Amino acid sequence: MDILSGSYSRDEGEMAGLFQVLWGVEGGGFRAPAALNGSDGQPLIIQDRDDLPRICTRPTAVDLDGDGKLDIVSGNFGGTFAVFLGEGEGRISPTHRFLMDEDGSPLAVEGHSDPFFVDWDADGDLDLVSGSASGGALLFLNRGSKKEPKFGPSTTLLPAVESSPDDVFGDDWVHGPQEDTRVWVDDVNGDGKLDVLIGDCVTLTWVAAGLEEAEAKKKLDEWSERMRKAQDEFQAAKGNPTDEQQEKYNEECQKLWKEREGIVRQDSTGFVWVIYRK
Amino acid sequence: MFKNLIPLCLVAASSALAEDTSMNPEFTAPVRLKAAREIIRVEDPGYASPCWADMDGDGRKDLVVGQFAGGKMKVYRNLGEGKLAEGKWLEAEGKTAEVPGVW
Repeated sequence: MDILSGSYSRDEGEMAGLFQVLWGVEGGGFRAPAALNGSDGQPLIIQDRDDLPRICTRPTAVDLDGDGKLDIVSGNFGGTFAVFLGEGEGRISPTHRFLMDEDGSPLAVEGHSDPFFVDWDADGDLDLVSGSASGGALLFLNRGSKKEPKFGPSTTLLPAVESSPDDVFGDDWVHGPQEDTRVWVDDVNGDGKLDVLIGDCVTLTWVAAGLEEAEAKKKLDEWSERMRKAQDEFQAAKGNPTDEQQEKYNEECQKLWKEREGIVRQDSTGFVWVIYRK
Repeated sequence: MFKNLIPLCLVAASSALAEDTSMNPEFTAPVRLKAAREIIRVEDPGYASPCWADMDGDGRKDLVVGQFAGGKMKVYRNLGEGKLAEGKWLEAEGKTAEVPGVW
Protein backbone atom coordinates (compact mmCIF):
# COMPACT_ATOMS: atom_id res chain seq x y z
CA MET A 1 0.00 0.00 0.00
CA ASP A 2 1.22 3.47 -0.84
CA ILE A 3 -0.08 6.77 0.50
CA LEU A 4 -0.84 9.71 -1.75
CA SER A 5 -1.15 13.23 -0.41
CA GLY A 6 -1.64 16.68 -1.79
CA SER A 7 -0.04 19.80 -0.41
CA TYR A 8 -0.68 23.50 -0.14
CA SER A 9 2.19 24.76 -2.26
CA ARG A 10 5.81 24.25 -3.08
CA ASP A 11 8.23 26.94 -1.88
CA GLU A 12 10.05 27.71 -5.09
CA GLY A 13 8.69 29.00 -8.39
CA GLU A 14 5.07 29.86 -8.90
CA MET A 15 2.68 28.58 -6.26
CA ALA A 16 1.59 25.01 -6.93
CA GLY A 17 0.58 22.15 -4.71
CA LEU A 18 2.74 19.13 -5.36
CA PHE A 19 1.58 15.55 -5.02
CA GLN A 20 3.50 13.55 -2.48
CA VAL A 21 3.71 9.78 -2.22
CA LEU A 22 4.81 7.70 0.75
CA TRP A 23 5.74 4.50 -1.04
CA GLY A 24 4.96 1.36 0.88
CA VAL A 25 7.89 -0.83 1.85
CA GLU A 26 7.92 -4.61 1.47
CA GLY A 27 7.20 -6.09 4.88
CA GLY A 28 5.50 -2.95 6.17
CA GLY A 29 6.17 0.72 6.69
CA PHE A 30 6.63 3.61 4.31
CA ARG A 31 9.35 5.61 2.68
CA ALA A 32 9.56 9.35 3.42
CA PRO A 33 7.26 11.53 1.29
CA ALA A 34 8.54 12.23 -2.21
CA ALA A 35 7.08 14.46 -4.89
CA LEU A 36 5.26 12.51 -7.58
CA ASN A 37 6.54 13.13 -11.07
CA GLY A 38 4.58 12.99 -14.27
CA SER A 39 5.75 10.76 -17.11
CA ASP A 40 7.87 13.68 -18.35
CA GLY A 41 10.03 13.36 -15.25
CA GLN A 42 8.88 16.69 -13.83
CA PRO A 43 6.89 17.16 -10.62
CA LEU A 44 3.23 16.72 -11.36
CA ILE A 45 1.30 19.97 -10.89
CA ILE A 46 -1.97 21.40 -12.07
CA GLN A 47 -0.87 23.72 -14.86
CA ASP A 48 -3.12 26.75 -14.84
CA ARG A 49 -2.73 30.48 -15.36
CA ASP A 50 -4.35 31.21 -12.00
CA ASP A 51 -3.01 30.37 -8.57
CA LEU A 52 -6.21 29.00 -7.08
CA PRO A 53 -6.55 25.84 -9.20
CA ARG A 54 -2.86 25.06 -8.65
CA ILE A 55 -2.74 25.10 -4.86
CA CYS A 56 -4.22 23.09 -2.01
CA THR A 57 -4.20 19.90 -4.01
CA ARG A 58 -6.26 17.03 -2.68
CA PRO A 59 -5.67 14.00 -4.92
CA THR A 60 -7.28 10.62 -5.10
CA ALA A 61 -6.01 7.69 -7.16
CA VAL A 62 -8.78 5.96 -9.05
CA ASP A 63 -9.36 4.23 -12.36
CA LEU A 64 -11.70 6.92 -13.59
CA ASP A 65 -12.10 5.68 -17.15
CA GLY A 66 -12.16 1.95 -16.49
CA ASP A 67 -9.06 1.21 -18.57
CA GLY A 68 -7.34 -0.67 -15.77
CA LYS A 69 -4.84 2.11 -15.08
CA LEU A 70 -4.89 4.29 -12.00
CA ASP A 71 -5.58 7.94 -12.74
CA ILE A 72 -5.26 10.88 -10.39
CA VAL A 73 -8.12 13.27 -9.78
CA SER A 74 -7.27 16.24 -7.64
CA GLY A 75 -9.26 18.89 -5.88
CA ASN A 76 -7.78 22.32 -5.33
CA PHE A 77 -8.34 25.66 -3.62
CA GLY A 78 -10.51 26.93 -6.45
CA GLY A 79 -12.97 24.04 -6.20
CA THR A 80 -12.55 22.25 -9.54
CA PHE A 81 -11.41 18.69 -10.26
CA ALA A 82 -8.25 18.11 -12.29
CA VAL A 83 -7.77 14.72 -13.98
CA PHE A 84 -4.33 13.32 -14.80
CA LEU A 85 -4.74 10.12 -16.79
CA GLY A 86 -2.69 7.09 -15.88
CA GLU A 87 -0.44 5.67 -18.58
CA GLY A 88 0.10 2.36 -16.81
CA GLU A 89 2.88 0.96 -14.63
CA GLY A 90 2.68 3.94 -12.32
CA ARG A 91 3.19 6.56 -15.02
CA ILE A 92 0.90 9.58 -14.96
CA SER A 93 0.35 12.02 -17.79
CA PRO A 94 1.86 15.43 -16.95
CA THR A 95 -1.08 17.25 -18.46
CA HIS A 96 -4.54 17.46 -17.02
CA ARG A 97 -8.08 18.24 -17.96
CA PHE A 98 -10.82 19.41 -15.65
CA LEU A 99 -13.95 17.37 -15.08
CA MET A 100 -16.74 19.14 -16.93
CA ASP A 101 -20.47 19.23 -16.44
CA GLU A 102 -23.01 18.47 -19.15
CA ASP A 103 -22.99 22.11 -20.27
CA GLY A 104 -19.25 22.13 -20.78
CA SER A 105 -18.39 24.11 -17.66
CA PRO A 106 -15.95 22.80 -15.07
CA LEU A 107 -17.57 20.83 -12.29
CA ALA A 108 -16.93 22.72 -9.09
CA VAL A 109 -17.74 23.15 -5.44
CA GLU A 110 -17.34 26.30 -3.36
CA GLY A 111 -13.59 25.99 -2.86
CA HIS A 112 -11.39 23.23 -1.46
CA SER A 113 -12.70 20.51 -3.75
CA ASP A 114 -12.24 17.08 -2.27
CA PRO A 115 -12.89 14.24 -4.72
CA PHE A 116 -13.85 10.77 -3.58
CA PHE A 117 -15.20 8.20 -6.02
CA VAL A 118 -17.61 5.47 -5.08
CA ASP A 119 -20.51 3.67 -6.72
CA TRP A 120 -23.06 5.50 -4.60
CA ASP A 121 -26.11 4.39 -6.57
CA ALA A 122 -24.88 0.86 -7.24
CA ASP A 123 -25.26 1.11 -11.01
CA GLY A 124 -21.77 -0.17 -11.75
CA ASP A 125 -19.95 3.11 -12.34
CA LEU A 126 -18.17 5.57 -10.11
CA ASP A 127 -19.95 8.62 -8.73
CA LEU A 128 -18.19 11.66 -7.29
CA VAL A 129 -18.59 12.81 -3.70
CA SER A 130 -16.86 15.97 -2.53
CA GLY A 131 -16.49 18.10 0.55
CA SER A 132 -15.96 21.83 0.17
CA ALA A 133 -14.82 24.99 1.89
CA SER A 134 -18.38 25.74 2.91
CA GLY A 135 -18.82 22.32 4.50
CA GLY A 136 -21.23 19.46 3.96
CA ALA A 137 -20.88 16.93 1.16
CA LEU A 138 -22.04 17.03 -2.44
CA LEU A 139 -22.83 14.11 -4.73
CA PHE A 140 -22.32 14.19 -8.50
CA LEU A 141 -23.93 11.08 -9.97
CA ASN A 142 -22.26 9.51 -12.99
CA ARG A 143 -24.79 9.64 -15.81
CA GLY A 144 -22.36 8.10 -18.26
CA SER A 145 -20.69 4.76 -17.88
CA LYS A 146 -17.75 3.11 -16.22
CA LYS A 147 -15.54 3.83 -19.23
CA GLU A 148 -17.03 7.20 -20.17
CA PRO A 149 -18.06 8.96 -16.98
CA LYS A 150 -20.30 12.01 -17.28
CA PHE A 151 -21.15 13.69 -14.04
CA GLY A 152 -24.50 15.35 -13.52
CA PRO A 153 -25.27 18.37 -11.39
CA SER A 154 -24.52 18.19 -7.70
CA THR A 155 -27.05 17.22 -5.11
CA THR A 156 -26.59 17.81 -1.43
CA LEU A 157 -25.66 14.66 0.37
CA LEU A 158 -25.10 16.48 3.62
CA PRO A 159 -25.88 20.18 4.04
CA ALA A 160 -23.27 22.84 4.68
CA VAL A 161 -23.36 24.65 8.00
CA GLU A 162 -23.57 28.20 9.24
CA SER A 163 -20.29 29.90 10.06
CA SER A 164 -18.77 29.18 13.42
CA PRO A 165 -20.00 31.64 16.07
CA ASP A 166 -17.33 33.43 18.08
CA ASP A 167 -19.61 34.48 20.92
CA VAL A 168 -20.68 30.98 21.95
CA PHE A 169 -18.25 29.29 24.26
CA GLY A 170 -16.94 25.75 24.33
CA ASP A 171 -17.81 23.04 21.83
CA ASP A 172 -21.29 21.98 22.97
CA TRP A 173 -22.78 23.89 20.04
CA VAL A 174 -20.95 21.74 17.52
CA HIS A 175 -23.44 19.12 16.42
CA GLY A 176 -22.13 18.29 12.97
CA PRO A 177 -19.29 18.82 10.53
CA GLN A 178 -18.30 22.45 10.11
CA GLU A 179 -16.25 24.01 7.30
CA ASP A 180 -13.57 22.75 4.89
CA THR A 181 -14.90 19.24 4.82
CA ARG A 182 -12.95 16.18 3.67
CA VAL A 183 -15.01 13.09 2.93
CA TRP A 184 -14.49 9.36 2.84
CA VAL A 185 -17.22 6.88 2.00
CA ASP A 186 -17.20 3.26 3.14
CA ASP A 187 -19.18 0.75 5.13
CA VAL A 188 -17.72 1.77 8.47
CA ASN A 189 -20.00 -0.28 10.73
CA GLY A 190 -20.20 -3.37 8.54
CA ASP A 191 -23.96 -3.30 7.96
CA GLY A 192 -23.65 -3.38 4.16
CA LYS A 193 -24.53 0.30 3.70
CA LEU A 194 -22.22 3.10 2.71
CA ASP A 195 -21.47 5.50 5.55
CA VAL A 196 -19.72 8.85 5.38
CA LEU A 197 -16.66 9.94 7.32
CA ILE A 198 -16.12 13.69 7.32
CA GLY A 199 -13.21 15.70 8.59
CA ASP A 200 -13.67 19.41 9.18
CA CYS A 201 -12.20 22.64 10.44
CA VAL A 202 -13.71 24.65 13.27
CA THR A 203 -12.74 27.56 15.48
CA LEU A 204 -13.73 27.20 19.12
CA THR A 205 -13.95 30.01 21.65
CA TRP A 206 -13.24 29.40 25.32
CA VAL A 207 -13.56 31.63 28.38
CA ALA A 208 -10.16 32.88 29.48
CA ALA A 209 -8.74 31.51 32.69
CA GLY A 210 -10.05 33.21 35.81
CA LEU A 211 -13.33 34.43 34.27
CA GLU A 212 -16.84 33.11 34.68
CA GLU A 213 -18.87 32.68 31.50
CA ALA A 214 -21.37 35.46 32.31
CA GLU A 215 -18.55 37.87 33.06
CA ALA A 216 -16.77 36.91 29.86
CA LYS A 217 -19.92 37.47 27.81
CA LYS A 218 -20.36 40.96 29.31
CA LYS A 219 -16.75 41.88 28.68
CA LEU A 220 -16.92 40.49 25.14
CA ASP A 221 -20.02 42.59 24.38
CA GLU A 222 -18.20 45.68 25.64
CA TRP A 223 -15.15 44.75 23.60
CA SER A 224 -17.26 44.30 20.46
CA GLU A 225 -18.81 47.73 20.95
CA ARG A 226 -15.40 49.35 21.29
CA MET A 227 -14.14 47.58 18.19
CA ARG A 228 -17.22 48.67 16.26
CA LYS A 229 -16.67 52.25 17.36
CA ALA A 230 -13.02 52.17 16.29
CA GLN A 231 -14.00 50.79 12.89
CA ASP A 232 -16.75 53.38 12.45
CA GLU A 233 -14.36 56.22 13.21
CA PHE A 234 -11.82 54.84 10.78
CA GLN A 235 -14.36 54.34 8.04
CA ALA A 236 -15.51 57.92 8.53
CA ALA A 237 -12.30 58.86 6.73
CA LYS A 238 -14.17 57.63 3.61
CA GLY A 239 -11.50 55.24 2.41
CA ASN A 240 -8.84 57.92 2.27
CA PRO A 241 -7.29 57.99 5.74
CA THR A 242 -4.17 59.96 6.51
CA ASP A 243 -1.06 58.10 7.61
CA GLU A 244 -1.69 59.35 11.11
CA GLN A 245 -5.26 58.04 11.09
CA GLN A 246 -4.11 54.68 9.74
CA GLU A 247 -1.42 54.36 12.40
CA LYS A 248 -3.82 55.32 15.17
CA TYR A 249 -6.35 52.77 13.92
CA ASN A 250 -3.73 50.00 13.73
CA GLU A 251 -2.56 50.72 17.26
CA GLU A 252 -6.12 50.75 18.56
CA CYS A 253 -6.85 47.40 16.89
CA GLN A 254 -3.71 45.81 18.28
CA LYS A 255 -4.61 47.04 21.75
CA LEU A 256 -8.15 45.74 21.47
CA TRP A 257 -7.12 42.30 20.23
CA LYS A 258 -4.61 42.06 23.06
CA GLU A 259 -7.38 42.86 25.53
CA ARG A 260 -9.57 40.23 23.94
CA GLU A 261 -7.03 37.56 24.79
CA GLY A 262 -7.79 38.30 28.45
CA ILE A 263 -11.49 37.60 27.87
CA VAL A 264 -11.55 34.60 25.57
CA ARG A 265 -9.12 32.37 23.80
CA GLN A 266 -9.74 30.74 20.46
CA ASP A 267 -8.31 27.65 18.94
CA SER A 268 -8.88 25.97 15.65
CA THR A 269 -9.12 22.26 15.24
CA GLY A 270 -10.76 19.59 13.14
CA PHE A 271 -12.93 16.69 14.15
CA VAL A 272 -13.75 13.45 12.38
CA TRP A 273 -17.46 12.75 12.12
CA VAL A 274 -19.18 9.55 11.16
CA ILE A 275 -22.64 9.59 9.66
CA TYR A 276 -24.19 6.17 9.23
CA ARG A 277 -26.69 5.28 6.56
CA LYS A 278 -29.96 4.08 8.08
CA MET B 1 4.51 0.26 -8.04
CA PHE B 2 1.54 2.48 -7.86
CA LYS B 3 -0.81 -0.46 -8.01
CA ASN B 4 -2.12 -0.75 -4.54
CA LEU B 5 -2.21 2.96 -3.95
CA ILE B 6 -4.46 3.53 -1.07
CA PRO B 7 -5.59 6.24 1.03
CA LEU B 8 -4.56 8.96 3.00
CA CYS B 9 -5.46 12.36 3.24
CA LEU B 10 -6.20 11.46 -0.12
CA VAL B 11 -6.54 8.48 -2.19
CA ALA B 12 -9.87 6.98 -2.82
CA ALA B 13 -11.12 3.50 -2.85
CA SER B 14 -13.85 2.36 -5.10
CA SER B 15 -15.85 0.25 -2.78
CA ALA B 16 -19.00 -0.74 -4.54
CA LEU B 17 -21.42 -2.04 -2.00
CA ALA B 18 -24.95 -3.12 -2.48
CA GLU B 19 -26.97 0.07 -2.37
CA ASP B 20 -30.53 0.97 -3.02
CA THR B 21 -32.11 4.27 -2.08
CA SER B 22 -29.14 6.38 -3.05
CA MET B 23 -30.79 9.68 -3.91
CA ASN B 24 -32.66 10.21 -0.69
CA PRO B 25 -30.43 8.58 1.83
CA GLU B 26 -31.34 8.67 5.46
CA PHE B 27 -28.50 9.19 7.85
CA THR B 28 -28.07 9.00 11.58
CA ALA B 29 -27.09 12.23 13.33
CA PRO B 30 -23.39 13.00 12.95
CA VAL B 31 -21.19 11.71 15.75
CA ARG B 32 -17.66 12.78 16.50
CA LEU B 33 -15.38 9.76 16.42
CA LYS B 34 -13.53 8.87 19.59
CA ALA B 35 -10.35 6.92 20.14
CA ALA B 36 -9.42 5.58 23.56
CA ARG B 37 -12.55 7.38 24.84
CA GLU B 38 -11.30 10.80 23.71
CA ILE B 39 -12.83 12.78 20.88
CA ILE B 40 -10.45 12.77 17.94
CA ARG B 41 -9.24 16.24 17.06
CA VAL B 42 -6.34 17.45 14.97
CA GLU B 43 -3.83 20.14 15.83
CA ASP B 44 -4.37 23.83 15.14
CA PRO B 45 -5.41 25.07 12.58
CA GLY B 46 -7.49 21.99 11.95
CA TYR B 47 -8.42 20.60 8.53
CA ALA B 48 -8.98 16.97 9.47
CA SER B 49 -8.83 14.62 6.50
CA PRO B 50 -9.94 11.04 7.26
CA CYS B 51 -9.43 7.83 5.39
CA TRP B 52 -10.52 4.31 6.21
CA ALA B 53 -8.07 1.57 5.21
CA ASP B 54 -6.47 -1.54 6.64
CA MET B 55 -3.09 -0.21 7.69
CA ASP B 56 -1.85 -3.19 9.67
CA GLY B 57 -3.13 -6.07 7.55
CA ASP B 58 -5.36 -7.53 10.25
CA GLY B 59 -8.41 -7.50 7.99
CA ARG B 60 -10.05 -4.56 9.74
CA LYS B 61 -9.99 -1.09 8.26
CA ASP B 62 -8.33 1.51 10.44
CA LEU B 63 -8.77 5.26 10.60
CA VAL B 64 -6.02 7.53 9.34
CA VAL B 65 -6.43 11.26 9.81
CA GLY B 66 -4.33 13.81 7.98
CA GLN B 67 -3.98 17.37 9.23
CA PHE B 68 -2.62 20.71 8.08
CA ALA B 69 -0.07 21.20 10.89
CA GLY B 70 3.23 19.68 9.86
CA GLY B 71 1.52 17.64 7.15
CA LYS B 72 1.26 14.82 9.68
CA MET B 73 -1.10 11.84 9.80
CA LYS B 74 -2.33 9.89 12.79
CA VAL B 75 -3.28 6.23 12.64
CA TYR B 76 -6.07 4.90 14.86
CA ARG B 77 -6.10 1.10 14.85
CA ASN B 78 -9.50 -0.52 14.63
CA LEU B 79 -9.95 -2.71 17.71
CA GLY B 80 -13.30 -4.04 16.53
CA GLU B 81 -16.74 -3.52 18.06
CA GLY B 82 -16.64 0.13 17.02
CA LYS B 83 -13.56 0.94 19.08
CA LEU B 84 -10.43 2.73 17.96
CA ALA B 85 -7.09 2.63 19.72
CA GLU B 86 -5.23 5.75 20.77
CA GLY B 87 -3.77 7.46 17.73
CA LYS B 88 -0.13 7.19 16.77
CA TRP B 89 1.66 9.41 14.28
CA LEU B 90 2.31 7.66 11.00
CA GLU B 91 6.01 7.01 10.59
CA ALA B 92 8.18 6.85 7.52
CA GLU B 93 11.78 5.68 7.65
CA GLY B 94 11.68 5.68 11.46
CA LYS B 95 10.43 9.23 11.88
CA THR B 96 7.05 10.90 12.07
CA ALA B 97 6.03 11.35 8.46
CA GLU B 98 5.64 14.99 7.45
CA VAL B 99 4.33 15.87 4.02
CA PRO B 100 6.16 18.97 2.76
CA GLY B 101 4.09 21.97 1.80
CA VAL B 102 1.48 20.87 4.29
CA TRP B 103 -2.00 19.45 3.83
